Amino acid sequence: MGKTLFEKIWESHIVVEKQNQPALIYIDRHLVHEVTSPQAFDGLRMNDRKVRRPDLTIATMDHNVPTNDRSLPILDQTSAIQIKTLEKNCEDFGIKLFDINSPNQGIVHVIGPQLGITLPGTTIVCGDSHTSTHGAFGALALGIGTSDVEHVLASQTLWLEKPKTFEVRVEGKRRNPHAVTAKDIILSIIKNIGTAGGTGTVIEYRGEGITDLSMEQRMTICNMSIEGGARAGLIAPDQKTFDYLRNREYTPKNYESLVDFWKKNLKTDPDATFDKTFVLDINEIAPQVSWGTNPGMTCDVDESIPSPDEFSNGDANQKKGAEKALEYMALDSGTMIEDIKIDRVFIGSCTNARLEDLIEASKVIQGQKVASNVNAMVVPGSQMVKKQAEEMGLDKIFIDANFEWREAGCSMCLGMNPDILSPGERCASTSNRNFEGRQGNGGRTHLVSPVMAAAAAINGHFVDVRKLDLN
Amino acid sequence: MKGNVIKYDRDNIDTDVIIPGQYLKVHDYAELATHAMEGLDPDFHSKVKEGDFILSGKNFGSGSSREHAPIALSHSGVKAILALSFARIFYRNSVDGAFLLPIEIGQDAYDGISDGDELDIDITRNEIKNLSTNQSYKMKPFSEIIGKIIEAGGLFKYKPELD
Repeated sequence: MGKTLFEKIWESHIVVEKQNQPALIYIDRHLVHEVTSPQAFDGLRMNDRKVRRPDLTIATMDHNVPTNDRSLPILDQTSAIQIKTLEKNCEDFGIKLFDINSPNQGIVHVIGPQLGITLPGTTIVCGDSHTSTHGAFGALALGIGTSDVEHVLASQTLWLEKPKTFEVRVEGKRRNPHAVTAKDIILSIIKNIGTAGGTGTVIEYRGEGITDLSMEQRMTICNMSIEGGARAGLIAPDQKTFDYLRNREYTPKNYESLVDFWKKNLKTDPDATFDKTFVLDINEIAPQVSWGTNPGMTCDVDESIPSPDEFSNGDANQKKGAEKALEYMALDSGTMIEDIKIDRVFIGSCTNARLEDLIEASKVIQGQKVASNVNAMVVPGSQMVKKQAEEMGLDKIFIDANFEWREAGCSMCLGMNPDILSPGERCASTSNRNFEGRQGNGGRTHLVSPVMAAAAAINGHFVDVRKLDLN
Repeated sequence: MKGNVIKYDRDNIDTDVIIPGQYLKVHDYAELATHAMEGLDPDFHSKVKEGDFILSGKNFGSGSSREHAPIALSHSGVKAILALSFARIFYRNSVDGAFLLPIEIGQDAYDGISDGDELDIDITRNEIKNLSTNQSYKMKPFSEIIGKIIEAGGLFKYKPELD
C-alpha cells in the first residue's frame, strides 16, 4: 500500500522505533527563541551537557522584543534579561543567533523560510506552537515544550508517539482571491473541524485550493494547524516551493540535486490512505471574522453573530462557551459583523506579516486615512520583510494613512511585550488566537485577514472586502 | 492520590488563561504559580490547595507550547487535571516534565463530579472514586508509553530499550 507524505518523512527520520515505545526521531533543524529556551539551557549546564548539533540550531529573539525604535534601551527589565540570557546561551553553546540588531532578526517562523533554513522533507522543531508554519514547505514541523527543547538540544532527537494522518482537501477556486484569502480558508477549516478536530494528527492540506496558493499563503494555512488542534500541518512541495527556496542565504549548495530528490519522493502516493478526511469547497466562501474567544468561533463577514444555541448544536459545554465568549467580547447574538466597531488594528504575527500580506493590505488603504477613532499598526514579520516593503514604498502608504510602521517581532499577537490592548479595547487582528486576554488583559480580538484588517482600519468597523476594488 | 476538585464547567481552557503571556518572563516557579489561571479565575490562587485536582471539559490546554502552563498549575499544588480531552502539547509537557497528571475521563465522571468533591484516584487501577458521593468512575488508561514516562518521573528519567 502507498504511503502518505507524512509517513515518508517520519520513516526517513526514525533512529529507533520499537513496538509500544515512542519512536526516537532525528531532528534536522531546531529553532530557538528567548522565551521557551532559558530553562532548557540551564538544564544542559546542570547536567554538564553540550548542544549536540549547534550547526543545526538557530536562534532569534521575537516574542518580547519591543517593536519601536531599536536604538532605545529595552525598558521592561524582565524582557531585557530574557534577551540577554539568550545572547549568553548562544555564545556559551556556539549557536548562531540573529540578535535584535541583525538584519535577519524577525519572528522565528518568518525568518526560517526566508533564509532557506526551512527545507522540504526535513524535521523541524521549535519551542513554539506555531512551528507548524514550516509545514508549508513539506517539512514535518512540530511545536514542543521546554523539556523537549532541552532533549533536542542535548541529543538532536525527540521521542514521539506516531501521529495519525488527516487529509484536509480544499477544492474549487476562490471567486475573488484578493478578498478571500488563505486566512479565510484556514479559518473556515477550523470553524468546520473545531479547535480539537485535528488533535493527535498531522494534517496534509491538498487539492486545487491549496496548490493555487503562493508559498506565503500556504504558510498562513499551515501556521494555524495548531488552532485546529493538530500536531503539524503539511503541504507537499511543488515547483513554487523549489523556486521560493532557491538562492536564499542558507540554501544548501547542492540545491538542484535536492530538488530532484524531493520531486521524486515528497508526495503522498495515489493509493495511500488517511485516518480521516475533511473536504472544504472554497468556490463560495466569504471573508471570515472571529466573534468569540477561540478560532472556531468564526463566521462569514456578511453574517450575524450566531446565538449560543445555533453555535452549539445541542452541546451543553459549547453553548456555555459561546455564552461566556459573547459576554467577554461584549457582543450580542444577531449583531451583524459589519456593524461591529473596532478601536485597534494589528497587522502582524507569524500568521500574516509577510511581504504579500503587507502588499495586499496596502492596496486597501492607499490614499485613505485610518478612521479617527482607530489606532492601527503594521508590524512586519522580519526585518527583511520590513526592508523589502520599504523598498517598494509600502511604509509610506501605511504611514500616510496614519498606521504606525514598526520593527519586527511578535508584537501584539501575544501580550508579552509593550504592544498590548487595554482592557475592553476591540481589535481587528491578523494574528492567530482570540483567546481571552491573549492580546492584553481584557482585550477583545477579532481574527481576520490582512485585507479585512486594513479595511476595518479605514472604516472603523468590519466591511466585506468583496465589495472593494482590490485589483 | 486524594484531593479536592476545582471544576471549570467548560471546554477549551487555553494556555493563555492558564498563564497569561505577560508572565512568560517569570522564571521563579513560586511566583509563576501565583498567576495560575489568572486569565479565567482571579481567585484561583487563593482557593487552590496542595493536592487539588482540576476538572474540565474538552481540549484542555489548547494553544501555546508554553511549559509555563503545567508548571504554574503544578507549583500551585495541582496534582492532576481531569478532562474530557487534552490538547497534545499541553498533555506532553505535563508528562515530560513530570509536572502533573493529565487524566482523560468520560462524560459520566464529568457529569458526576462537582466542584469541591473529594476524590481518590488510583492510576494503577484506572479508577476515580468520588468520596463525596461514593460513586466510582473509570479513567482512560495512559498509553503504555505515557505510563512508562510517568512511572520514570519524566522524560529525562525515562530509559527506553534502544537496541
